[in-house]
Amino acid sequence: MGGGSADSVPPIERAQMGEGGCFLETAGVEASAAPRAPRASEASSFFRKVRYLFPLLLEVPAPSLGVPLQVTAEVMNVGVAHSEVNPNTRVMNSRGIWLAYIILVGLLHVVLLSIPFFSIPVVWTLTNVIHNLAMYVFLHTVKGTPFETPDQGKARLLTHWEQMDYGLQFTSSRKFLSISPIVLYLLASFYTKYDAAHFLINTASLLSVLLPKLPQFHGVRLFGINKY
Amino acid sequence: MYLPCPVVQNIKVSCTSWKCALEDVAWIISAPAYHLILEGILILWIIRLLFSKTYKLQERSDLTVKEKEELIEEWQPEPLVPPVSGDHPALNYNVVSGPPSHNIVVNGKKCVNFASFNFLGLLDDPRVKAAALVSLRKYGVGTCGPRGFYGTFDVHLDLEDRLAKFMQTEEAIIYSYGFATIASAIPAYSKRGDIVFVDRAACFAIQKGLQASRSDIQLFKHNDMADLERLLKEQEIEDQKNPRKARVTRRFIVVEGLYMNTGTICPLPELVKLKYKYKARIFLEESLSFGVLGEHGRGVTEHFGISIDDIDLISANMENSLASIGGFCCGRSFVIDHQRLSGQGYCFSASLPPLLAAAAIEALNIMEENPGIFSVLREKCKRIHKALQGISGLKVVGESFSPAFHLQLQESTGSREDDVKLLQEIVNHCMDRSIALTQARYLEKEEKCLPPPSIRVVVTVEQTDEELERAARTIKEVAQAVLL
Repeated sequence: MGGGSADSVPPIERAQMGEGGCFLETAGVEASAAPRAPRASEASSFFRKVRYLFPLLLEVPAPSLGVPLQVTAEVMNVGVAHSEVNPNTRVMNSRGIWLAYIILVGLLHVVLLSIPFFSIPVVWTLTNVIHNLAMYVFLHTVKGTPFETPDQGKARLLTHWEQMDYGLQFTSSRKFLSISPIVLYLLASFYTKYDAAHFLINTASLLSVLLPKLPQFHGVRLFGINKY
Repeated sequence: MYLPCPVVQNIKVSCTSWKCALEDVAWIISAPAYHLILEGILILWIIRLLFSKTYKLQERSDLTVKEKEELIEEWQPEPLVPPVSGDHPALNYNVVSGPPSHNIVVNGKKCVNFASFNFLGLLDDPRVKAAALVSLRKYGVGTCGPRGFYGTFDVHLDLEDRLAKFMQTEEAIIYSYGFATIASAIPAYSKRGDIVFVDRAACFAIQKGLQASRSDIQLFKHNDMADLERLLKEQEIEDQKNPRKARVTRRFIVVEGLYMNTGTICPLPELVKLKYKYKARIFLEESLSFGVLGEHGRGVTEHFGISIDDIDLISANMENSLASIGGFCCGRSFVIDHQRLSGQGYCFSASLPPLLAAAAIEALNIMEENPGIFSVLREKCKRIHKALQGISGLKVVGESFSPAFHLQLQESTGSREDDVKLLQEIVNHCMDRSIALTQARYLEKEEKCLPPPSIRVVVTVEQTDEELERAARTIKEVAQAVLL
């Protein structure tokens, strides 16, 4: 890795949005499971529970290989020498980033809730829309890496979503990031009481963030927008 | 329950949502059908996602397992060590005892050295040797570390300062191996998707740098500015078709000051004009012209009187005129600074041994103290160039003031091997008459544009006029004997 750029992007910068943590039990969604960490040294009892309950839920190995293709979620190597050519590919697998993402979405929601003149449906729609907008910008618009990589700029024209896990589809981070806007949408639909106007806004926002995640859209740039 | 209220009330409300679940169910049932259907589809989508297999996008190959097996069966491994004839030059090398200075002892025979790139004769200079010895006693021999890990000594910083001042640029950076200098500098700036216009006669180090850069390489005919302009125009047309791509594409022109493979000089004024017309950056490799051309030895920019700021990066190795080891790049600060983290040869190789850096500093001192040696060298080059004209069977390739020029066969025998054998005979005969010459050697399979076989003659300031004339005479006689 080029000299001092071995310290890559801290997880907080990438994990912008997530679901509200306190609503998980009611929603009963398992997508919030923390990344499988080989060491449970820092895991609270909640994550240990989730991990034991759903050990391989998000990871389905391809039949052609004997071992799962997905590298087990590694500790984010901060400040150490690592052989990762493009650290962007492993950011969303690092320890604690899913939780950070969820907490951040929760924080966004709480901040929006604290604005006195927004009603609950408006707050939920806003959470959904802002989360999807930020996800679109950070995962599907910004291209390349903020650091120099030793592969001479292979990922220069790729968005973060396309760089994740070096283009491997349906890895656990990708599944998590695909499911979280859907969960947020379901919650927002519920709390907006299935109102038609909110429906339109939320659905459009959800589509804008779900379509780029399809494997068919890997590397696709519609109308040449954002191609170079 | 869903009144707009401050946060505290909201949380209280949500904690009692269990109790309100029944009422929520009522809400759900009264929801519009399309919305519920969409939610059903989304939940199915979640389930599908959870059970999708991880796969690589390009993994589906069109070969069946049987076809793969067949291909594996058919494959014959190449030998690890391919058979090589006994008279391959790499297996029959000449052994030099003692320093390769003006008088060189090759295979036990004392010859005048017309083969080593010791242009200014600083290899055996007592001042340089003394400075190196002082540094050796102070620092030891090696540095045991790259520049980033305790491998930066004050001599390195001194040498970089001195080189920057000598070349009149803002900053300079030192590499510990001359080949690695340009081979690290090019990939530090030029990446995938960038375009590099490079001369066909570029040396092997440049070729390796270009290969490492993964950029688009466009070769133009040697020193042919019209060809280069044609390529630049074609690129301009492409750029106009796709301006967004053009905005993120960097364009570079890589040339050498004095070409190692041909001894010719690059037409730098035209290149600078093309640079400004087509917005490309020039990387100038001055290994042979540093310490040779120009009034003060600053290279080809001084020779043509071009401002050094017009050239984006100058790279040279210190193994020729400076009689040290390693190389340097010099240019604007923001350009050179980039290499401190991105120059692979800088970050990941041990730094230059301090004694060699001290030797280079002393060599620079000598160069600055007597700037007259450069014109003396050029005079000697012109003299031998003239003297070697008109040899039957051999033609002189290179500028008259180039200290390293080539003697190529006027008519090739048809096969490269035979040409090489013929030239080797000439070299051997010259060696018998105590003129040490060498053939220009290439990795024949690896070169992009393999130059024709040639004898490379090197002129140094230490050779007297009499020796030059004797050399010219010897070569003439030997060539006559061998080729006719």
